[in-house]
Amino acid sequence: MKFNLARLRPLLTGSLVVAVLAVTGLAVRPLETPAWQWVRAQQPALKLESLQGALGQGLTVGLLGGFRAITADFFWIQTNSVWEDRDLPATQTFIKLVTAIDPRPLYFWLNGSRMIAYDMPNWRIVDAGGYNVVPPATQRRIDEEQATVALRYLQEAFNYHPDAALLHVEVANVYLNRLKDKARAAEAYRRAALRPDGPFYAGRIYGELLRKLGRKAEALAWLKETYANLPKTVDRARGVSAFTVESAMAPLVLERIHELEEELNLADDQRVKP
Amino acid sequence: MSSLARSVPFSFGRLGIVAGNTFLEAVRQKLFNFLLLLAVALVASAQLFREFNFGSSELKFIADFGFGSMVFFGSTLTIAATAQLFFSEIENRTALTLLAKPIWRTEFIFGKLLGVLAVVGVFCALTTGLLLVLLYNRETALMAANPEAFEAGRLIHYGDLVLMGVLQWLKFGVLAAITLLVASFSNTNLYTVVMGFFMLVICHLQYLARDAYSQVSALPLRLLVQGLSYVFPNFQVFNLADQIGIGQGIDPTVFLRVGAYALTYIAVFGGLAVYSFSQREI
Repeated sequence: MKFNLARLRPLLTGSLVVAVLAVTGLAVRPLETPAWQWVRAQQPALKLESLQGALGQGLTVGLLGGFRAITADFFWIQTNSVWEDRDLPATQTFIKLVTAIDPRPLYFWLNGSRMIAYDMPNWRIVDAGGYNVVPPATQRRIDEEQATVALRYLQEAFNYHPDAALLHVEVANVYLNRLKDKARAAEAYRRAALRPDGPFYAGRIYGELLRKLGRKAEALAWLKETYANLPKTVDRARGVSAFTVESAMAPLVLERIHELEEELNLADDQRVKP
Repeated sequence: MSSLARSVPFSFGRLGIVAGNTFLEAVRQKLFNFLLLLAVALVASAQLFREFNFGSSELKFIADFGFGSMVFFGSTLTIAATAQLFFSEIENRTALTLLAKPIWRTEFIFGKLLGVLAVVGVFCALTTGLLLVLLYNRETALMAANPEAFEAGRLIHYGDLVLMGVLQWLKFGVLAAITLLVASFSNTNLYTVVMGFFMLVICHLQYLARDAYSQVSALPLRLLVQGLSYVFPNFQVFNLADQIGIGQGIDPTVFLRVGAYALTYIAVFGGLAVYSFSQREI
């Protein structure tokens, strides 16, 4: 059989194209790498870990690039739809899909974790026969399982929002309300209170939990320190509005300080004077 | 290159004529007008979709939505227009007439490429301009309603919006060059369009392959994936719009790097299309 070189021409052309492109890829790497690092730093959603879970369903929508925000919004509507139907697997999948597509809004993380930690245990217990049928130990186990899932989910959120005080508050709420773990809840509230955008109530709850844990001296020290830094009067020049003063609740903190001073039997000279 | 073409030197004038004709032909097509109208309508309706916004700020949402429309319809327009404009020459036999004259295939291919670039340039300019007006109006309204939130001035960097429009245009330029490379050896318009969309998907997702190769333990597989990541350009580097709408801007050096990256690929894919087309019997 005669060898026909012309038959190999498409293969040779294709190989040449691939080779030229590979060389070009190598040559433009110094241009691409710094730009790509910059883009990645600005766009947490592009990290592989966040897409892995959603790749099957989210592939098409992920490709839409700039439509990320609205795609996540539409999937959030879908999440609420399956949540209304109490469809646990679908709700859990959509919650993760939404934050995989767009992890930037805190709203999705907070509300997603609430669905997992508070609603899903209820669904599971109702599905298993209801609160009167399911033994308390089983109910407790279900609560713990869902709380663990929610905490894992919130931990992932910290990758995208490391400084968000509200995430710490949400973690604290899960520990306190679902796992009844006051010590861990207290620690999470403390972290929230120490953030620049930490809500005033996080510090108050931390003090109250220390008190309930029997760490009264610690609670008193914390509340005294907190009280000293609370805004007590409106100061427009420093950006302290009436709402801020109201939210800070300095009189309430002082009242608790006095209660703790009583409980600890402190001498008059050791007590805070208003 | 035909023997006739060899007898004349390369001419930017002839290249410009091909580009001008390509542009005119594209503008006369219904596809261009239809996609342009759709994109403009979608960008303009971004405000209506605000009701669906849960997470991000309103301005960010409008910016995301506007650029989303531009990327989606722009990619469709680029692939479809490039394939159609190339194959209309082949199918109508005008390519035969044209290439029988003293004209280089390089002039033909780069003329087509420049024509498509002009078409998507008009598309990008219109959609970016519209988005700019939309954001400016909305931001002005928000500033009037809530002046405390804008004490530091406007949140949107309007210059960056223009830079983003330019980057999208360059990305469409790379996509047009890729589509032209496929068209240079393909026999049908449909095959070219489908391959163009596949390439778009691959170039958008190639960073996943690059991430994956670093985790693969088998050396041959790792080398294969690494090699693939070098072959396809990374379209995600063009996505610098994430900071628009939240008061942060685009790093100018990053813009310049991405611009140079795009121009390099346009030249390389264009050159490869010329090479591949020169091997083709028409």
